[in-house]
Amino acid sequence: MPNGDHILSTFNDAQRALKEATLTMGAGAQRNLEHAVRGLFQRNKEFCNQAIADDEDEDKLEIEIDRMGMNLIIKFRPVASDLRMVIASMKTASNLERISDQAVSIAKRARKMLKNPELAEVSRVEGLYQVTATMLADAMTAYSDSNAELALDIVEREKMLKKTQKTISRFFAKKLEGETEQYRDYLDLVFICRWLERAGNLSINIAEDVIFEETSTDIRHGGDLPQALQDFIG
Amino acid sequence: MTQKKPQNIEPTASAIDQAVSQSPSSEHTEQAKAQLAQTRPTNHLNGLKTMVEIDDLSFSYDMGKTNTLQNITLDIPEKQVTAFIGPSGCGKSTLIRCLNRMNDLVETSRITSGQIRIMDQNIHSKSVSPIELRKQVGMVFQKYNPFPKSIYDNVAYGPRIQGIKKKSLLDAAVEKSLRGAALWDEVKDRLKDSALGLSGGQQQRLCIARTIAVRPKVILMDEPCSALDPIATAKVEELILELRQDFTIVIVTHSMQQASRISDQTAFFYLGELIEYNTTEHIFTNPSIKQTEDYISGRFG
Repeated sequence: MPNGDHILSTFNDAQRALKEATLTMGAGAQRNLEHAVRGLFQRNKEFCNQAIADDEDEDKLEIEIDRMGMNLIIKFRPVASDLRMVIASMKTASNLERISDQAVSIAKRARKMLKNPELAEVSRVEGLYQVTATMLADAMTAYSDSNAELALDIVEREKMLKKTQKTISRFFAKKLEGETEQYRDYLDLVFICRWLERAGNLSINIAEDVIFEETSTDIRHGGDLPQALQDFIG
Repeated sequence: MTQKKPQNIEPTASAIDQAVSQSPSSEHTEQAKAQLAQTRPTNHLNGLKTMVEIDDLSFSYDMGKTNTLQNITLDIPEKQVTAFIGPSGCGKSTLIRCLNRMNDLVETSRITSGQIRIMDQNIHSKSVSPIELRKQVGMVFQKYNPFPKSIYDNVAYGPRIQGIKKKSLLDAAVEKSLRGAALWDEVKDRLKDSALGLSGGQQQRLCIARTIAVRPKVILMDEPCSALDPIATAKVEELILELRQDFTIVIVTHSMQQASRISDQTAFFYLGELIEYNTTEHIFTNPSIKQTEDYISGRFG
């Protein structure tokens, strides 16, 4: 957002409210993902149910943020960085809703796995979760602080995320071979890894939108970095 | 006041003078001008043909005591819409009035430096008569001002002054101009009626028809929609986009939305200086100067 207040205080209020709602939604998505994964690691049905139930709040917030964004456009016709802020917020809300959906998928599989004996190898998912959770937390910090450099740092973690997901998924896939008793659980863990990776990729989308908001440069799908960020990464 | 150079803009007149003084032969002068033309604020114009060149222009309303315009340099491309925006008193209307020497009517006004060239002709040279200039550079004002005559006579006024007397030629000119101003279908059955009986939007389009009847090269519009309702405004905007195919249009507007809808290039002025000049898309999505962004986003005005 540009520094300095708008002449219309109602514009400032609307913009602030949009940002706050998006940050609230971000905190909700982080919490849902954490509950889902804790449900998996601690074999705790309550955490799983919590993640599934709280997804509804995220859905409602997404609709509310879209409504706020559209109203802001209709009432104030924002331009330049103000317009980019509104667009980035609405897109961030969409990405957060999908992250929360990944949390629901994880929670449902974790709840299903509770019916079977515990697998010690579940703890191997922890590393991937840490990568994803950190990316999501940093993406929301970048959005909150309008920090394009942090956002770029998140974008650059894509390879590491993919590598971590592949390594762990390969381990579980190997376990599937010859396994007859709990092959479904190992298969579920492969899916859980993919959903966590997906949540990480959605965090990258948020980071790309922060870069767009701050620099007016669209770096998606191989777009060139703005000069200021090229200098930043040397 | 500290003089700031606007983005993309290298005021060139003083540089031209310097180059000229260093190059005694006319051949060298031409070379110097050609070189300097490379550095004009035309980077974003991508080779579009220039219709109006404003070079290091400063203008005063009080015999040169204070400058209302300070060292303005910009090129206006042919057959494009160029919008001048900025807060009240920034000099945008003064500049547009310089382009057809309307400010000559103010006795104490002076061009204190620089020059304006339209189609490569210095408009202040002694060989240019203001009357002839205004045939080439027409103007549409904020408040529609048709003559208290019939619709037909309003449009035929310019061609008659140019010496056209034959009725068939006048009829053709009136029809062509009214069609060009998207007004023909609404008035073709009442051409002899008083122009003052038309609605505000129709009167403004009649004024545009009157302007284009003398086939100017450039049309200046000083807030042409500020007295119109939204529907009439939309019709005039639609008309401006059509006129762009045949005319070079310079429009002063206070409406950011209007500038973003209809113009190809936008120049932002503040306190008599040109702060930023670029494509309209650039100005409204990612302006290079903070002052521009603050103004277009409503942070000062």
